[in-house]
Amino acid sequence: MDLSIIQNLLVTGLLRGGLYALMSVGLALVFGVMNICHFAHGEYYVIGAYVAYFAYALFGLNPILAILVAAAASFLAGAITEKLLFYPLRKFNKGEWVMNAFLLTAGLSTVLQSIFRLSFGMKYMGIIQYWDATVSIFGMNIAVDRVVAFGIALVAIGGLWLFLRRTRTGRAIRAVSQDERGAQLAGIDLNWIQTLTFALGSMLAGLGGASLLSLSPAYPFAGNKPLIASWFVVTIAGLGNVEGAIVGGLLVGVFESVSYYLLGQGWQDVASLVLLILLLLFKPAGLFGTRVKSVWE
Amino acid sequence: MTTSEPAIPPRFRPIVWLRARLDNLGFSLPFLACVLILALSPLVVREAYLRRLLVTSLYFGILAMVFDFTGGFINAVNFGFAGFVGLGAYIAAILTFYFGINPWLAMLAALVASGLVGFLTGLLTLPLRGIYVSLMSWFVGMTLGALTSAWEKVTRGARGIIVPPLFESVTILHHFYILLGMLLALYVILRLIIRSRVGLAFRAIGQNYEVARASGVNPIKYKLINFTLSCAVAGMIGGYYAYFVGIVTPDLLDLGHTMEVMALSFIGGSGSLIGGVFAAFLFIPVFDSLKRLMQYRLLIYGLSLILIMIFYPAGLNGLYQKIKSVFKLPKRKKQ
Amino acid sequence: MLAVKNLQAGYDCLQVLWDVSLAVEEGEFVALIGSNGAGKTTTLRAVAGLIKPAAGEIFFLGRNISGLPAHLISRLGLSFITEDLNLFEAMTVRENLLLGAYSQRDDRKVHTSLDFILNLFPILLERRNQLAGTLSGGERRMLALGRGMMGTPRLLMVDEPSLGLAPKMVMAVFEALKVLHGQGVTILLVEQNVNNTLHLADKAYVLEHGRIVLQGASAALLEDPYLKETYLGRR
Repeated sequence: MDLSIIQNLLVTGLLRGGLYALMSVGLALVFGVMNICHFAHGEYYVIGAYVAYFAYALFGLNPILAILVAAAASFLAGAITEKLLFYPLRKFNKGEWVMNAFLLTAGLSTVLQSIFRLSFGMKYMGIIQYWDATVSIFGMNIAVDRVVAFGIALVAIGGLWLFLRRTRTGRAIRAVSQDERGAQLAGIDLNWIQTLTFALGSMLAGLGGASLLSLSPAYPFAGNKPLIASWFVVTIAGLGNVEGAIVGGLLVGVFESVSYYLLGQGWQDVASLVLLILLLLFKPAGLFGTRVKSVWE
Repeated sequence: MTTSEPAIPPRFRPIVWLRARLDNLGFSLPFLACVLILALSPLVVREAYLRRLLVTSLYFGILAMVFDFTGGFINAVNFGFAGFVGLGAYIAAILTFYFGINPWLAMLAALVASGLVGFLTGLLTLPLRGIYVSLMSWFVGMTLGALTSAWEKVTRGARGIIVPPLFESVTILHHFYILLGMLLALYVILRLIIRSRVGLAFRAIGQNYEVARASGVNPIKYKLINFTLSCAVAGMIGGYYAYFVGIVTPDLLDLGHTMEVMALSFIGGSGSLIGGVFAAFLFIPVFDSLKRLMQYRLLIYGLSLILIMIFYPAGLNGLYQKIKSVFKLPKRKKQ
Repeated sequence: MLAVKNLQAGYDCLQVLWDVSLAVEEGEFVALIGSNGAGKTTTLRAVAGLIKPAAGEIFFLGRNISGLPAHLISRLGLSFITEDLNLFEAMTVRENLLLGAYSQRDDRKVHTSLDFILNLFPILLERRNQLAGTLSGGERRMLALGRGMMGTPRLLMVDEPSLGLAPKMVMAVFEALKVLHGQGVTILLVEQNVNNTLHLADKAYVLEHGRIVLQGASAALLEDPYLKETYLGRR
């Protein structure tokens, strides 16, 4: 194969993969810490997209500022959701947590999508681009928007990683994901950590939606593809494994690039499904292993 | 020494016996009354449009029941449910449209097809944590959806496949009674399965996997039976849908439809089988009568699901049980 | 320092504690002994805030803590070392210890504690960058103890630290407790190993079927005929 094609595929794959990684990390975090299979994750991507659209296109904010505002809005949305829905669920419904929480997010997804549709209609709210420029990488012309989006993803993921590894609160989050009782006894407020975690996950999704606004406009069902992609990545990488999600996101990005090139749109989905099936057959715990209790029942 | 019940006068004995038998089949007196009312409703409900509502409610009720068979008993949420229903619909539609195959045979084929896909999906994921089943069935449903849109040569894409009616001069009334019959038959069958040894295994697995395994129950086998069965029946009902509605389009496999069935099933009460039917008869006519509500349909389903999950996971069935216990009259012991 | 009055507690439908009253004064080493299922762990859990008491009161440092959430009780200075240890398996020894001092905001104080604990338990110093999940049984106990001490607690509650350990490790654990006590830490120890415990503790309470049946100074208890027969296996 021609070297330039490989380069091309690699670069586009990584650029896409970076955003996958961003979405997936949020998902892995929520699953690892709160044991919630989050099916409304895509809706926070959409929140980010809508807010960024309004901030940039309507209020004329500078792109970076618009994206930051969108991130803050999704963070807030996540925090509110957690306090409004998951906190009561924890208090009132002591039953089958994983199942109930999952169903709750399914209901939440439906509700949020309906709210989007009823508030903004089915219009596609997009922008042409944030920055009217392209940049040359390995001789390819790539839109600055894409590169900046990737950069934002890198910064966000890096920031999160540092936060989790080096700070007291980040350590507390990791502690809660590993042993709730131990964390409680160490003086960690579980409710607060869980709200924070969910808000962080939502913020990451919102960042994705905001930075990709030029490529993927805001509309009620815009969250479906990111949701599918992030769940795909998380399953392949290993449920609840945050670091795995990062690498997994990049890998899946490249995989999709390559399979799209080789097989075309329709069959690319089939290729993804085949990959998933193979994985579940041979390595159900994911490529990098799960961080949650166990894969087997 | 047992305290003896007052002896039943001879003329009541057959009634008591009948009641006990019906109870075993799952038909309590109130329920039987409901069935009767429903069966006779077309006498009162004359307009075709209202009758159609009844049929739609029946349709969703059956689907909710089938969904609950897995969701409520082996704790596996089939997130690609609409895909299996749609697969059945398309199989039936394709067989009849292209090959003129008899609808009932086509529905059988639909049952087999969906059952097969369900079997494979379950085989792959049931040994793993419950979430994998949901994930995989979600992906499978999505892929099936994508397939129906993309494989235009066979499925005619978005234009859909026109399906001839079930038989000449079929009316809404026919559909109503056929579906009602299916509902009752399925209810009895599923209930008998639940109450059999197989069903005991389901519930043991659902409640405590480790203990079930330790007591010699092979969980995978039973989960697989359950999941396959539920997918198969879903496919068959999907097949029926094709003949009832007359056209099959790719949006049939949308996630939204899974959500509807899922919401009805959980609002009705997970594990009750019949709760979803009541939920269907509650929500669907209401949505229809308040036309404006149709837009908000999914929103209301979602909200209801959320509220039920948080505050009243037992659903309608739980409510019913509570009411029953309030009104509990000293019952005669079963003979 | 700690006063438990007529505590009743249990799990869901099962009541385990029927009437437990005990008191721990500052600087004391108190033991709670009893056989399996007597309710010793349940008592500690109720005090630590992991389960809500059905009835009765718990006072810590003069405050009524019954019903408070566990993390607040921990911040008041009550440290609970569980039987399961509840270590953070995927984190290093050092990180586990740092988390022990979570409620301490002042970074310097945290590191002072860290140095102190690492000195106290040389094994931990040696393995400080090792993942907690890779430690041996005794080392994990030490880590749990060390972590529990990081927040300079007023009261340390330890649940069956010797369970499942080789005799040499058991001695090491008890030694560590002795040292801590010598440093002025108030300790409430739950143990099945009655003999060793009574030789270590100042006073003890004996729990049977959710009730305190015997209490007093350890020396006295060691002579008590009922205790000797039931728990020490001699007349």
